[in-house]
Amino acid sequence: MERVLTDFVKTLRNVNIRVSPAETLDATEVIEKVGYDNRELLKNTLSLTLSKTPDEKEKFDTCFDDFFREKLSSDEIPLKEVPDLPTDQTANSDLAQHLLSDSYSDMELSISKAGEEAEIREIKYFTQRAVFSRRILDIMGVGKLEEELSLLGQANKDGLPSDLEQKLRNELTHLRERVSDYVQQQFLMHGDVTGEQLREQVFKSMNMGQIDRSYLHEVHSLVRRMAKKLANMHSRRKKNFRRGKLDIRKTIQDNWVNQGILFNLRWSYKKVDRPKILVICDVSGSVGAYARFMLMFLFSLTEVVSKIRAFVFSSHLGEVTDEFKGGNLEDSIESALSKYGGGSTDYAHAFSDFVSLCIDEIDKKTTVVILGDARNNFGPEKAELLKSVYERSKQVYWLNPEGKYRWNTGDSVMNTYSAYCTKVFECGTLEQLERVISTLLKTAI
Amino acid sequence: MSKGPAKTIADITKGFAKHQYICSEQISTAVYLANELEKPILIEGPPGVGKTELANTAALYYKKALLRLQCYEGLDETKALYEWRYGKQLLYTQILKEQMQEVLEGAKGLKESLDRLMEFEDIFFSEQFLESRPLLKSLTSSEGTVLLIDEVDKADEEFEALLLEILSEFQVSIPELGVKKAVVKPLVILTSNNSREIGDALKRRCLHLYIPFPDAKLEREIIQARVPEISKSLQIQLVDFVQGLRELDLKKLPAISETIDWAKTLILLNADELSQELAKSTLNVLLKHQQDIDVVQKEVPRLVMASDG
Repeated sequence: MERVLTDFVKTLRNVNIRVSPAETLDATEVIEKVGYDNRELLKNTLSLTLSKTPDEKEKFDTCFDDFFREKLSSDEIPLKEVPDLPTDQTANSDLAQHLLSDSYSDMELSISKAGEEAEIREIKYFTQRAVFSRRILDIMGVGKLEEELSLLGQANKDGLPSDLEQKLRNELTHLRERVSDYVQQQFLMHGDVTGEQLREQVFKSMNMGQIDRSYLHEVHSLVRRMAKKLANMHSRRKKNFRRGKLDIRKTIQDNWVNQGILFNLRWSYKKVDRPKILVICDVSGSVGAYARFMLMFLFSLTEVVSKIRAFVFSSHLGEVTDEFKGGNLEDSIESALSKYGGGSTDYAHAFSDFVSLCIDEIDKKTTVVILGDARNNFGPEKAELLKSVYERSKQVYWLNPEGKYRWNTGDSVMNTYSAYCTKVFECGTLEQLERVISTLLKTAI
Repeated sequence: MSKGPAKTIADITKGFAKHQYICSEQISTAVYLANELEKPILIEGPPGVGKTELANTAALYYKKALLRLQCYEGLDETKALYEWRYGKQLLYTQILKEQMQEVLEGAKGLKESLDRLMEFEDIFFSEQFLESRPLLKSLTSSEGTVLLIDEVDKADEEFEALLLEILSEFQVSIPELGVKKAVVKPLVILTSNNSREIGDALKRRCLHLYIPFPDAKLEREIIQARVPEISKSLQIQLVDFVQGLRELDLKKLPAISETIDWAKTLILLNADELSQELAKSTLNVLLKHQQDIDVVQKEVPRLVMASDG
C-alpha cells in the first residue's frame, strides 16, 4: 500500500504542492493510525499532513478526489464470469471474449493492469500519449483481435459484417477511446511535473524579448519565486547597531568578568542596512519587454530593498515608483509602459531629466541600475551627465539586453557609456537577470 | 488507545461541544492526530474563527494547564524560553566573596588557593537561578500542558528557528546547563494570521490546519452553543445575514466571534426577529470599518429580505 501513497505524493507534487520526504513519512505514520477504510478520515488526515497553505489545501482536495476515485474503483471490483454468446460464431481471442463480456469496471481493471505493465508512470511529454496508448493496447492483445476481425471479415460471403464482427468493432473503438482517456489521465498525474519544470527551464533560458505575452502570468509567478529565493538569501545581512535598547542579559553576562561592574554595554537592537536602489529603464519599443521583467523582478524584492525608485523613459523620463508600490504589478507595468513607452530613444534627454529630478538624492549608499540597449538613434550622448551620477553614487550598473556581439554596432554607444559604469552586464534571459540581481544585492547591501 | 480513530475523533467532537466549541471533522481530526503523533498543529485562518479558542478548549478537554505565549515583533528567547535571575546572581556573588575568605583560609600559595577554589561548588549557572518562560515551563511540567504559541507570524523570522528544536524534539538546549528534554510532551498549538509567510522548516514539522469561515449549518450550531437563549428563527436569520455579508467585498469580513457578539447584542435588545432598522443600527457590532458599514448600509434591505426567505 505504500506504493499508493508515494504515487499520490507524486501526483501532489505534479500540481505544485511541495511535499518533503519528511512529510511523506509523516503521512505513512498517519495512515498506519487511520487506515485506508474511511475515505473522509483519510482525506482529512492527509490534508493535515501534506498540504500546508490554503491554496495547497484546495488543490489537494481536487487531487485527492481524482486520485482515489480511480484507485478505489480498480481495487474493489471482483472478476466476472464471461457469459456464453448466443451466436453461431464464437470469439476466440482473449480480448474479444473480454470485450464481449461487457463489464465496464472489469475492463477498467485490465486497462490499468496493462498500463502498469507498459510503465505508464514513466510518461513525460504529451507527445508520448499515442505511444503509450498503442503499447497498452498491444499488451491487452489488440493485435490478435485485429487478426481475428480480418478473418471474420473474410469469412463473410455476402460482404456484410456479421453481428459478432460488428459488435467487436464497436467494442474495439470504445476500448481505444477508453485507453486514450486512461493515458491522458495518467499523463496529467505523472507527466506534467517534468513538463512544468521543462517549461520553467525554457522560460529561464529564453530571451526575454521572445516570451509571448500570453505566458506573462506564468512567468510572473516564476519571477516571484526567483525573487523570493534571492530575498531569502540576502535578507539576513544585518549588522549590529550601537543605538537602541540595552540588552541587560548580555551586558551582565559579558561583564561578569568585571566583578559585575557594567563596563561593556551590549545593545539589543539590530539595524537592517537597507540600500537605496534607483532603476532607470528604457521602455522604448526595442527594450520594453525586458523592462517589464526587470521591474517585475525588482518589485518582487521589496522585502530586501525597501528603498527602490523606478524611472522609465523613452525620450522623457518619469518616475513610476508609486504606481508599482500600490497594487497589481502587472497592471502598473502595463500602464507605465503605455504612458512612457513606444517613442524613440533619447538617452541625453533622459539623463538630463534624471539628473534634474534626483541628483541630490544620490549618495554613497545608492546603487543606480540602468537597463537599456544604449541605442541612441545617433543623437547626442551627453555622457558627462552619466559621469556626474557615477561620481556621486556607490555604483552604477548597466544591463544590456542585447548580446555582446551587437554592442557598439550601428547606433549603439555602449562603449561611451560603459566608461562611467561600475559594471556592464549582458542580460537577455531571466537566468542572466537573476544572476545580475544577485550580484547587485551582494554589493549593494 | 483501543478505540478506533473514527470513534476517538467523534469523542473529541462531542467533548469539545461540551465546552461550547463546535468543531468540524477537520478540526477534531487534527486534534486527534496531534495527540496521537505528538506533533504540533499550526492553525491558519482569518481572525476570529476560533483559532485561539481551540487551544483553550483543548486544554479544558484534556484537563491540562494552558500555557500561552503571545508572539510579537522583537520577542526573543529571554521572554519565550528562559532568563537568568541576574539580581539573585549578583547577590550570590556578594555572598560568595564573604565565603571565599573561609574557603581560602590557611591556603599556601596561589596553586593551593586555586585548587580549593576548583573544589568549591559553583551554582552560578544552575537551575536555582533559572527563570522559566512559557516554552521551558511547558517542557518541565510533569502533568503535561497545552502550549499555545499565538500569532507566530508576528514574531521575527529568527524566532521561528528557536522553535524548531522544541517542536520536533520537544527539548531545548541551554548552553550553561545542557539539553532539557520534555517530561511529558505538551500538546503544542501554533496560530498564525498570515501577516507573513511562515517558513517551510517550521511548517514541515507541524500538522497544518486551515480553519475557514464556517458554513451556515456549522455557524448555526456554534451560535446555538454559545448563545443558547436565542430564538430559532432569529438564529437562522442572523446566520444567513452574516453569510450574505461574507460574499460582499469588505475590508474585514465578520468572523464567528463577531456573529456571536451580534447575537448577544440582539438578545440584549430583546429582539425576536431581524428587521432592517435593527440590522442597520447594530451593524457596528459586526463591522469594524466605517467604509464597510457604508457599503453594507445600502445592502441591508436585500440581505434582510434574503435571510427572511
